[in-house]
This record gives sequence, structure tokens and C-alpha cells, in this order.
Amino acid sequence: MATVEERVKAITAQVLKLNVEDIKLEHSFTADLGAESVQSIELVAMFEEEFGIEMDEDAALSVEIVGDAIKFITDVCKEQGVEVEE
Amino acid sequence: MSKVKKKHPLADSKRPNLVEDIFPYSLPPLIHLEGPVTEIIDGKSVEFDFGAVKDRPIYITDTTFRDGQQARPPYTLEQMVKIYDLLAKLSGPNGVIRQTEFFLYTKNDRDTLDRCRELGHTYPECTGWIRAVKGDFRLVKEAGLKETGMLTSCSDYHIFQKLKFRSRKDCLESYCEVVDAAFEAGVRPRCHLEDVTRSDIEGFVLPFVDRLMEMSEQVPEELTAKIRLCDTMGFGISYPGAELPRSIPKLIYKLNRECGVPSDRLEWHGHNDFHKVHVNAGTAWLYGCDFINTTLFGFGERTGNPPLEGAIFEYIALKGDLCGINTMAITELAEYMRSIGLPIPDNYPFAGRAFNTTRAGIHAGGLRQDEQIYNIFDTTALLGRPPRVAITDKSGADGVAHWLNEFFGLKGDDRINKIRVHKLARWVIDQYDVEGRLTAISDQELEVKAKELYPDYWEKYKSSK
Repeated sequence: MATVEERVKAITAQVLKLNVEDIKLEHSFTADLGAESVQSIELVAMFEEEFGIEMDEDAALSVEIVGDAIKFITDVCKEQGVEVEE
Repeated sequence: MSKVKKKHPLADSKRPNLVEDIFPYSLPPLIHLEGPVTEIIDGKSVEFDFGAVKDRPIYITDTTFRDGQQARPPYTLEQMVKIYDLLAKLSGPNGVIRQTEFFLYTKNDRDTLDRCRELGHTYPECTGWIRAVKGDFRLVKEAGLKETGMLTSCSDYHIFQKLKFRSRKDCLESYCEVVDAAFEAGVRPRCHLEDVTRSDIEGFVLPFVDRLMEMSEQVPEELTAKIRLCDTMGFGISYPGAELPRSIPKLIYKLNRECGVPSDRLEWHGHNDFHKVHVNAGTAWLYGCDFINTTLFGFGERTGNPPLEGAIFEYIALKGDLCGINTMAITELAEYMRSIGLPIPDNYPFAGRAFNTTRAGIHAGGLRQDEQIYNIFDTTALLGRPPRVAITDKSGADGVAHWLNEFFGLKGDDRINKIRVHKLARWVIDQYDVEGRLTAISDQELEVKAKELYPDYWEKYKSSK
């Protein structure tokens, strides 16, 4: 099973049309990876679908950095009883 | 000018001050006026008590069927009866829309008047409009009207250039003969001082009004002459310090206090040639005219007249109360007028299809959080028009979410959040980025996509209809 980091990077690459290897943990979704308003919404929606979780809209959209998103999703998965590979 | 610089310390707070004494939301923003206001007239300082307007018996009058109709093909009899009925509904039991005036020249004019009066409404009272011709009083009398407007043009442009009088004296005497004829016929004359804001006020207008006041002393109160100040070309100016003949404050002062025309016999009639029409009418109220003359949606000769619906909201704002006015009738009137071919621009205040529609995504975001942020007042309660979002490439997910929630009628926790609208938001963006679209997306197009992308909500929406 792929790790949370691998899955987050894969979805980010798919939504933002980037190469996975170009996405770094310290990257900002908007400033570095170029996510526009609607793409940020799409990212959150795709993360929810990928992990089978529901995230608080405001909290999820306030996460700006890839590494923070991985931690945020991992925490939500734990809270909602979803097993993931860290 | 002396320096009045001072420090302004921050009034820190963890709770918002929404200034609700001025912006109650259930009403339009209120206008609180503190007096006195001073104007220098003939070198003297003159005070006006604006605050008194809250308790003064001010009113709106309507000329949709006269000035309004001069600017378009004639209404049919049935259309006028319908409009009159809706005016009465809007006016409410207190008769805030006090009067409306009718032409009397054709059989259709007179039949329309009869049909309107058959509806039995107390207000708006029906009055007439005739030329300053003695014979025309027969029409007024036969129609059974108590009051009629009559042209008494005041500027030398009219007196000499248009009406071809040999002198001002001839003109004045001619007008007074017609006023006498009105008295004899038992009809109250409302003298329309045409082009007054381009007239010689001291040399003609005031002597004429003095004469009208003298003549009125000889007749019962109900026949005394009324004065309509007609800003025929929209030259009137509301600013303190402006000079005659354009100054509305000075003009009203001269008639009201020097000539002694009581406020309840003074009326303002404006035109919008310089975009001043609504504020000029409001100014007339404040300086002592009890009546302001308006048309529905401002539709009138050339650039139009003070919009009646604007006067309605000004009235409520000054009074701090609805005073029995049924504001929902404005929306009914707008829909009716559109249905009979009167063009109302989409962005026209209070009545245009998009008057409370925002297009910017960042504003839509505000609306989604709290509609009061970007809505002028409770337009749902007062006009039956909830704030809307028009969808373009600038709308963002906030705009799309707002549109979708409004469309499905979802409130509170039932509202669809931004994340759930991502597919529709993507479709919208692709319309512009991929398809190269340049126009706003219509409600009809969005409905089709909403049905496709949100079938569960669509089913619920359909079954609730």
C-alpha cells in the first residue's frame, strides 16, 4: 500500500498536471505549485475521495504546504478510523 | 481653514459593531438628520430643520401616465388600470403615493380615468393635466376631478421663444385668467412652473406666485392654488451655496417663506439630464416641499423623472418605518412593466434583474458567509428578491456554491459546501479557459449542469416545487 505522502503527491500531480517528482514536502500548493482557487477545492475533494474521509472545509482549505497536508490528512484518517500507511 | 488635527485612538473590540441603528437590514439604511442646516440667502443666514422631515406630512406623487407616457407609445386602457391598481397597492393605507395625474384629451384618456376610479382606491387620488387654456377646464369639470395641473411656464425661453408672449406682464395676466377660470369652475389649479430653474426668479416667478397667493385668499382652502416647481431641463442643484435660479434650497425658501406658499401646496418635479434627479427630489423634501413628483422606474421625458421606487425607499429611510407601504409591489410592477415592453436595465436599483446580483467571486464568498455583507437590505423580505450570484470566470467556487444553494433553496446546515461543488466549478472554469467563452453563464445552462452533477439534490428540488 502506498504511503499517505505518495498518495497525496500523486493526486496533487494529477490535479495540477505536474510530475510527481517535482512536488516537494516544503512546497506551497498555490505559490510553488500554482494551484488556483478551483484547483484547491478539487484537491480537497480528491483527497476526501482517495482516503474515504470527510474534512472540515475551512480547516482543509487553510492548509497551504504539501507536508502539512500529509499530516492533516493522516490526523483526519486516524480520527475517522481509516487505516493508512504512514 | 484652521487646523483641527487630533489623534484618533483605536476602539478595540472583539465583537463587531454592525451599526444596526442605521443599518437595521429589515429596512433600508435609515437617514438620521441633525439640524439645523444653514444657507446664506440674500446675505442672511437662514436655518432649515431637516430633522423635522421625520414628522412632517411629506408625500410622493406620480406622473407615470403623463410625463412617463410622453416618453413612450401610449399605454392601453387595461395596462393603465393595472398599473394604477399596483400603485395603490404599493402606496398602502396611508396614501404615501398621494396623487397621480391623467391626460384628459381623448376618449381613451377619460375612459381610463373612469376605470381607475371604479377600482375604489382612496389613493393615489386622480388629478388631471391640461394646457393653460380656459376651455380645457370643461374637460376637468366633466371628468369630475377636484384638481388639475396646468402649464404656467416661467422662463423667458418659454414665455418669449416658445409661447410668443409680447411681454412678461401679458404672460402673467394670461396665466392668472386661466387660474381664475379654474376657481370659477370649482377646480383646484396646480400651477406647473415650467423651466423654473432657468427663470428670472425675482423678476417673474416671485411676482407671479405672489399674485397666485393673493388670488387664493379669495377662494376656499380646497381651491387654493398649488405650485409645482418644474425642473424641466434638470438644471436644479441641491448644494448649499448654489445660486438662483438653479438652487433648490433658495427656490423653495423664496416661495415657502417669502411668498408664503405653505409646504403642503409645494411640489417638486425633476428631470435627470444631469444625473441629479433623485437627490434633487430628496433635497426638495428637506427644504420644505411636502410633495415630490415621480414616475415608475424614472421613465419620463428624455432622461426621465425621479424614480418612484427610489422615492419610496428614501421615504422609508427618512421616516424610519414602512408607514404601510407594500414594497413587494415594486417587484410586481417591475415584472408587469417588463411584460408590456418597458425596458428596465438589469443593473437598475431595486427593480433590475441583477440589482442585487454579484459577479465577483470574492463578493460571493462574503455573501455565502453572511448575506448582509454584500446585500443593501433584506431584499428577500422587502422585494421578494434574494441576493444572487451571476456565474462567470470571476465567480470562483464561492460564487458557484452560492448559486447552487440559492437554486436548490438550501439553508443553514443543509447548504452544499464549496468542496462539494468542485465539479460544477470546474465546468464553469473550463467554459472560459478551454472553450474560450466570453459571456456570463445563464441560469438555464447552470440548471442543466446542476441536474446532471447533483441528481439527488435535483430530485429533492423537483419534488419540493
